[in-house]
Amino acid sequence: MAGVGFRRWAQALSRGKGSGLSALLPGCRAASGGSKTDLPSSYPLTPEAKAAAAKKYNMRVEDYKPHTDQGEGYGDYPKLPDTSQQERDPWYQWDHPDLRRNWGEPMHWDFDMYIRNRVDTSPSTLSWSSMCKQLFGFLGFMLFMFYLGEKYPSYQPVAPKQYPYNNLYLENGGDPEKQPEEVVNYKI
Amino acid sequence: MADYKEAPLASRPKTLDPNEYFNLSLEYRRAEEERSAIRSNLKLQYQTQLNNPHRKALIEDPALNRWMYARSHTYPHFKTTFKTSLTGLLFGVVPVVVLYYLFKTDRDKKEVDIKAGKYDRRFSLTS
Repeated sequence: MAGVGFRRWAQALSRGKGSGLSALLPGCRAASGGSKTDLPSSYPLTPEAKAAAAKKYNMRVEDYKPHTDQGEGYGDYPKLPDTSQQERDPWYQWDHPDLRRNWGEPMHWDFDMYIRNRVDTSPSTLSWSSMCKQLFGFLGFMLFMFYLGEKYPSYQPVAPKQYPYNNLYLENGGDPEKQPEEVVNYKI
Repeated sequence: MADYKEAPLASRPKTLDPNEYFNLSLEYRRAEEERSAIRSNLKLQYQTQLNNPHRKALIEDPALNRWMYARSHTYPHFKTTFKTSLTGLLFGVVPVVVLYYLFKTDRDKKEVDIKAGKYDRRFSLTS
């Protein structure tokens, strides 16, 4: 059996037009998996190309909007709304519940950023301006007050420590025979 | 509509949006039906493969393949424009140059101080 196959292969080789290594490889590909036309390609210029691209990405022609062609490398990949997966309905039966996505659904360019563990675009309780005002207002106020405290310090009045017995004359090594000078640390 | 109050950190779900049920235009209905048809077709394909008892391999998602391919093959669609050149400069050239100058001047200053014997090593644990 193997011998027959080898003979056939040698015959095909001798008849084939290719040269080099490509002559040894079979001239056909497996039919499984997507084809070259299924993969993203360059920016669609004609309406037919747009319709074909929309069909390729499983979108309606009206919904399909490619990124504007500014040379940033997007090609014909669709521009989907910039919302995180956290904003999607938690109660719908998604095919992949953790990602809140269905099989075959076109993925956002920044999908790995918008998963539920990462960036979240859900609406916040306060407006952005209100949050900014509160945070920077508080920080600014605290910084200003600390600056004032550094410039105009305010503390209990202090003076150098006063010692009895003529500033501890004997303890500081003064001569016991000599009479120390009188030190008066008070004022009446 | 039932008494649904907007939750502070969640957008209103599509199924509770009154505009989905009242005052619908024909175009909107048609658009939603088309989208639903595409969605149902994809669901059917997925469920068929999922429930196939003879399936041993994992289910390949062509949308995922397209996403991965698009993200890794941006070079063929790259064009040198003002915007892309500016981006390249700002993110690729400027940080390197600026950091080089910052570190170099700081290190040179430190070297001069050490040579002059004025470098403050009060809290250094390594000397």
